[in-house]
Amino acid sequence: MDWQGQKLSEQLMQYLLLGSALIAFLTGYIMSSYRMMLTIYLIGVVITFLFTVPDWSFFNRHPLEWSELKNPDMPSSRQLKLRQQQAAKKAAKPQPKR
Amino acid sequence: MHSFVFRANAVLTFGITVLAALCILASLSDSFHSSLPDINLQVLNVDVLQRLSNGNDEAKLTLHISADLRSVFTWNTKQLFVFVAAEYETQKNQLNQVSLWDLIVERKEDAKIDLRRRNKYGFVDQGSNLRGREFNLTMYWNVMPLTGGIFTGSKVLTGFRLPSEYTR
Repeated sequence: MDWQGQKLSEQLMQYLLLGSALIAFLTGYIMSSYRMMLTIYLIGVVITFLFTVPDWSFFNRHPLEWSELKNPDMPSSRQLKLRQQQAAKKAAKPQPKR
Repeated sequence: MHSFVFRANAVLTFGITVLAALCILASLSDSFHSSLPDINLQVLNVDVLQRLSNGNDEAKLTLHISADLRSVFTWNTKQLFVFVAAEYETQKNQLNQVSLWDLIVERKEDAKIDLRRRNKYGFVDQGSNLRGREFNLTMYWNVMPLTGGIFTGSKVLTGFRLPSEYTR
């Protein structure tokens, strides 16, 4: 899920839950059935879960674009770090006695 | 919102918060409800007025309990606890309350009550103050909501009097 997708997912989750709560309360109050309110709200939560929790394809419409390497031959910072670590290891090794 | 578990957690926690808000709203909606219960209590007969061996007075009454509490029910009402108390004043105590009868009403259809019967619980005074005593009959109903606090309604019917002599 990309950054835009995460934002969309969070907003969808909030609106869907608040919307189903509103519908549930009004229906329950008008039909004067508390059980009806709870059932509708529970259905709303399940729908929200299915809609916003899995990594659906519409959450991945804005993939991150990395900038091009300025100098492709230059070793990456990771490679440099590895080299430094190896050098340090070598230096730390005790010299064999003659 | 970067992972499945994180999003699932977010839906469930926000979902429960909204559910709590729904319950609070539902219990608030009860305060806009006004009920007009129709209540009538009568003493059809004083069957017995006697002094018990321990010196206390006891009365046995035949009551006519007629009440329509259907308008008390709302969508947020779990059940009603209805009881009738005899209330009277003596020299020693300003208010004496004796519960004579009670009923748990779980459904709106059952909230229309029309009964003629002897008091369910003994009308016993802690002393010998019942002869010629004037008393009130009060019907109380505790409303137990599905969510929210219990609240109580009552109606007082005045002007009942016990006979001035023991019947046995």
